[in-house]
Amino acid sequence: MNDVDDQLRELLPRLRRFALSLTRDYSSADDLVQASLEKALSAWTGRRPEGDLRAWLFSILYRQFVDNHRRSRRYSRMLELFTGASGDDQYEPSVERTVVARTTLQAFERLNAEQRALLLWVSVEGLSYKEVAGILEVPVGTVMSRLSRARQALRQLSEGEITTPALRILK
Amino acid sequence: MMTLPPSERDLHAYIDGKLDDADRQTMDTWLAANPEIAKQVLAWQLDAQNLRAGLSGDLHRPANPELDPSFIRQRMRRNRSRHFASAAVLLIAVSIGGLAGWQARDMTLANAVLPMADAVQAYRMFAVNENVASDWNTGKPNNVQVWLDKNFAQANRLPDLESAGFKPVSGRLSSTEQGAAAMVVYKDAQGRTLSFYIRPPIGQQRMLPRGTRRDGELQADYWSGGGYNYAMVGPADDPAAQAARQALKRPI
Repeated sequence: MNDVDDQLRELLPRLRRFALSLTRDYSSADDLVQASLEKALSAWTGRRPEGDLRAWLFSILYRQFVDNHRRSRRYSRMLELFTGASGDDQYEPSVERTVVARTTLQAFERLNAEQRALLLWVSVEGLSYKEVAGILEVPVGTVMSRLSRARQALRQLSEGEITTPALRILK
Repeated sequence: MMTLPPSERDLHAYIDGKLDDADRQTMDTWLAANPEIAKQVLAWQLDAQNLRAGLSGDLHRPANPELDPSFIRQRMRRNRSRHFASAAVLLIAVSIGGLAGWQARDMTLANAVLPMADAVQAYRMFAVNENVASDWNTGKPNNVQVWLDKNFAQANRLPDLESAGFKPVSGRLSSTEQGAAAMVVYKDAQGRTLSFYIRPPIGQQRMLPRGTRRDGELQADYWSGGGYNYAMVGPADDPAAQAARQALKRPI
């Protein structure tokens, strides 16, 4: 048990970072991590997850995020329907972020959630393409083409070639 | 072994440092000859580096004790036991409610349905009190059975207690919630008093099984028949009354 907790504890900063990159909000990021850890801990009693623990936890967290997001999207669509107001969040990049590479970070923030996850897994966490394909439940070939699109989008956003609203609509 | 021109996957693998040494060298050479793609690959590499640098700060946020695995385990246990507790409380509440309801039902039934309670009451009020006006007495032209039949259709015959020395002396009508009731008072030569009480049953199904119950110094024997309930009430320990009860047990 303590061994499990130690492994989780060690990965905690990475999980929180990943959650933050998805939610772009500190407190909802930690809520997401908490919910994911609960899932992970309940699942763990049955069997020890195979393969990379980090990839397994990322996949739990990502699925949790996608589920929440779907729910809140439904909610905001309903809100829109009844009030005419869009519930879509106007995201302001955090000032607490490192100043280095601010342009890239700002561009990163504007990508859609899957692209952010993809780039974080591959470029930052260094997961293998196979692991990413496992998390997203798509073939490796699909991962590659989505990765290309994500990298292109990041590049274009960094260079300011595409204005933000256009891309957000594409999402 | 990588083939040229490199596939999309090879280009990404190059950027992400996932090519082996030989392939990386092949790629380096190939990119040197293809500056357009080299430029793009370099830009992507820089982006990745910037991302790593830019996001590294997020790894060093102050720890949140609520995210510690042991804390989460505790919380899950607490929640689980809270769920169990809620379920248990619910179960207890439902059980108490059910038991209380059953108890209340028993009490209501017991109150409402002490069999032939009004027969005993009527005996206490009228049978032993000579001064109460009667609706029938031995001075009337009709005999008691005729008087009774006028008020109760298809009722059982009055018990014949002559063998025990008891004769009908007076009758009295009264009313209950369910309809008319009547009491016939029997006396023997020594002035001992028994009463025969007839009333409609309480509710459709409240026909009484033949039974006996004691109420203070009195005993009530009760039964049903012909759509009515009957009781014979008299002193519990009196031998003459016991003899009359024996007479009652013979088919009427």
